Amino acid sequence: MIRFIIAAVFIVAGIFVFAAAAFGVFKFKYVLNRMHVAAKCDSLGALLILIGCMILGGFSFMTLKLLLILLILWVTSPVAAHLIVKAEVKTQNEDDSDEYEVIGK
Amino acid sequence: MSNSNYNKDKIPSTHSKAPWNAFVGWVNGDTPEDKFEKPELYQAPKQSHDAHNEESAVQQTPMPQAENEQEYNTDHTEQGHFLLKEKFTKFYKVYIVIAVIIGCFVVGILAYAVCCLPPYGYAENPVNNEVSEKYLEDGLEDTGATNAVAGMILDYRAFDTFGESTVLFVAVIAVTMLMKRSMNKKDEEGERLVAHETEIDKKDQNLILKYGAMILVPFIILFGVYVILNGHISPGGGFSGGAIIGGGLMLYAMAFGHEKISKIITYRSFTVITSCALLTYAGCKAYSFYTGANHLGGDIPKGIAGAILSGGFILPLNICVGITVAFTMYGFYSLFSKGDI
Repeated sequence: MIRFIIAAVFIVAGIFVFAAAAFGVFKFKYVLNRMHVAAKCDSLGALLILIGCMILGGFSFMTLKLLLILLILWVTSPVAAHLIVKAEVKTQNEDDSDEYEVIGK
Repeated sequence: MSNSNYNKDKIPSTHSKAPWNAFVGWVNGDTPEDKFEKPELYQAPKQSHDAHNEESAVQQTPMPQAENEQEYNTDHTEQGHFLLKEKFTKFYKVYIVIAVIIGCFVVGILAYAVCCLPPYGYAENPVNNEVSEKYLEDGLEDTGATNAVAGMILDYRAFDTFGESTVLFVAVIAVTMLMKRSMNKKDEEGERLVAHETEIDKKDQNLILKYGAMILVPFIILFGVYVILNGHISPGGGFSGGAIIGGGLMLYAMAFGHEKISKIITYRSFTVITSCALLTYAGCKAYSFYTGANHLGGDIPKGIAGAILSGGFILPLNICVGITVAFTMYGFYSLFSKGDI
């Protein structure tokens, strides 16, 4: 029972992080801000949810698989986010520079 | 809020030509002045709580301009833009409300459907009719594959899978016809573009992608090979494994450039390997037709169920399909990005 509660706390925290990411992607208007939110929350949310799943499932062969999933997400997701951001920075126009001012709104 | 009712008196009513003019202007690339466009788009989400008031305002706007109609019957591309933009702004505000409602609705339906799903693996489930019973009961005995899906698609329905692989092959041939740069005709403009892009690629170190690919590509390709070779034992098979290998090849080409991968895969080896894989498949299928067109390879030893070397023809066919899919996927990427393989 206590294990279930701890796992539920972790999973709910992960869901909250993902919800914050979705909200941030919707809220921010500029690509770099959006990518910041999406990339950061991806890593943390995946970590929390997978830890919750590990606690829920108990220690077994499944734990190793979840660890591998976590590892591959942590390797791939930041690289992909970095490439998207790099594409934005490289293809930026001079006309778009006023979009920096929209950041805080 | 103040932006939405700018120069309302200048906006023409909904006469017949305006949307068309706006569309023509949009196609030609005419954009109205920025000071109208940007604030509209950026501030629209903030006004979402006023969406209800805006909806009532929408219904009243077309009325006062009816008398101006004659004046605007001629071509007014700019005016058409304003009209379209105002419509778009109003649509955008309603759109948020509708999107939230539809989103909640769909989430509710999906959550309800998940609750109503039959439990996994029960005999009374609706999917268990006579056909699947036949496959599940006799499949292991007939095909020697513990993975019933592989037994189905590569034994009972092997001819169908042959057609699927051929579809992929024909698709990559069509893309080659369209995209491949000609060897005989020198295209100076294209050559210059390609040289420019290679120069950019060389100048850009791209270390993060390179190190990421260095870690990932071996594991991706290894996993793809595993999925193909275990296709008749565990979930997987030629299509999924081939897609994984193709993705690995694409990542490699993306990170290290086309030059490195063209040492392994040239246009010649591409065509030879893909055609050979398909011809091997066709040969196996022809043999099964020759021996009575029962399921594939009736007199090939099945082996012990669960071992790698079992299942008669299923393992070689899986490898053929996997090679075809992997090379096809890489071919698409290479042809679209470089115009060559």
